[in-house]
Amino acid sequence: MTDVPVLSVRNIRRSFGEHAALDGVSLDVAQGEVVAVIGPSGSGKSTLVRCVHQLEPIDSGAMYLDGELLGFEHAGNRLRPLPPKRVAQQRRRMGMVFQQFQLFPHWTVARNITEAQVRVHGRSREQAGERTAELLGKVGLTDKAEAHPRQLSGGQQQRVAIARALATRPRVMLLDEPTSALDPELVDEVLAVVRDLAAAGLTMVIVTHEISFAMEVADRFVFMDQGRIVEQGPVADVLADGRSDRLRAFLSRYAQTRDTRSAHV
Amino acid sequence: MTATAAAATGELPDVDVATARHRFRPWRWLSGAVIAVLTFQVAWFVTHNDRFEWPVVAEYLFDPNVLAGLGMSVLLTVLAMLAGSALGVLLALGRLADFGPVRWACGLYIGLFRGIPPLVQLLFWFNLAYLLPRLSFGVPFGPTLGSWSTNDLITPLTAALIGLTLHEAAYMAEIVRAGILSVDPGQRDAAMAMGFTGGQTFFRVVLPQAMRVIIPPTGSQFISLLKGTSLVSVIAMTDLLHAVQTVYNQTYQIVPMLIVACFWYLVVVTALSFAQSRLERRFGRGQRSSRGEWLA
Repeated sequence: MTDVPVLSVRNIRRSFGEHAALDGVSLDVAQGEVVAVIGPSGSGKSTLVRCVHQLEPIDSGAMYLDGELLGFEHAGNRLRPLPPKRVAQQRRRMGMVFQQFQLFPHWTVARNITEAQVRVHGRSREQAGERTAELLGKVGLTDKAEAHPRQLSGGQQQRVAIARALATRPRVMLLDEPTSALDPELVDEVLAVVRDLAAAGLTMVIVTHEISFAMEVADRFVFMDQGRIVEQGPVADVLADGRSDRLRAFLSRYAQTRDTRSAHV
Repeated sequence: MTATAAAATGELPDVDVATARHRFRPWRWLSGAVIAVLTFQVAWFVTHNDRFEWPVVAEYLFDPNVLAGLGMSVLLTVLAMLAGSALGVLLALGRLADFGPVRWACGLYIGLFRGIPPLVQLLFWFNLAYLLPRLSFGVPFGPTLGSWSTNDLITPLTAALIGLTLHEAAYMAEIVRAGILSVDPGQRDAAMAMGFTGGQTFFRVVLPQAMRVIIPPTGSQFISLLKGTSLVSVIAMTDLLHAVQTVYNQTYQIVPMLIVACFWYLVVVTALSFAQSRLERRFGRGQRSSRGEWLA
């Protein structure tokens, strides 16, 4: 059991017309592992996590969560797509954090976190409320429980979104560029929360541009370019010599942007 | 010259703009005068023309038949609006469906029922018996489970309800569709990602946010539907217009009776407008006020 990866992606492809967003991607994520997915814009990083969460269909390949095939089932010797209810059940075991937060603006912060626990996981309002309070404490927003998302800063909204995704105790968290939509001074408060989660042993796949942060929290780097995984391995190995030209080019570009950014600060 | 002098010496004149007079604005004076003259003329016309027969208006304003007609108009409006909205939501979802035939069928419905004038539709439904003498339902190409004479089923009331509902549904479908499209698709992703089912996602996340866009035009629809009920008088439905017509067909007091009808239509429309603005505020929760945005 311990040998089965929490998440296993096998040679998946996803095309938009002629353009192959994912061109044969394979990836295993072990229990408690933190994987950082880096790469230039349009390299397929976001498509990868969206496909894993079944927000987008894959054209070929297969994905497994705790050894269970995602999105399809065997019927006799044939394979057929799962009905939407079963897909929803599979999604409940994963948590997703979006670049644009996507809190529900018509609900309070507390209700954003509580609602899925009650409606989807059948917890009582009371139980769910306790969990919500605990999570708001964890992300440092206890005093904002009754606020509406619009009244919060971007960093606070993203922290609520993380709490919302955690509320149902997911097996794996998928974070799709969680700090890319934030003003630079708000990035750290969100990264601090993610750092805590990593320390607590949560299995995570983080799509990010924050290379230095990724170096700090990730166990493994996955470098993607043009829909493929070009390099992957332990952080130290990948960064040590930057084996491929493309990774070296990407990292040097990143170093430049970091320099210009710090020049502004 | 004073400015350059001040600049040269470095001293500024001692001025307080609070003491400034208002600017003379000739167009305001002109438009104000025109409005005043028109108002006076209309008031004079209304009060000094005996043919308005104001005592007759007062006599019939609360006449039981008139009030019953008003009640019928409001009832028709409410029922057609409820049924039309429900059908409209389904049609809107159909228009957004992945499955082509469903999309086309709903588009065809909307095109037909928005394109044919409601008066023609009412007459058509009222005369349905000519086309279909009997209405039956059962298994297609199989046994019939029930059958009725169309003339028994299609009374003025059912013809009016069917006609107004089907017409209203076509308009509501477009309004609801625009509302759904106004919601960030990421909201749907987020709800689905949390394991909400399609139904939960639509009714708990998408629709409440779409309401902000749906409500203002729906209020207008409600108002135009109320006015549209006056059409049912042509199929002998006892609505407000029909009630006043019944009176003036006997007394020939056409103008005062029409004023009675106008009065009640305006009363209900004003009440509806008020309710609409209350609703808009309620569904605007968690959003910036649209007023502030436009006035900024």
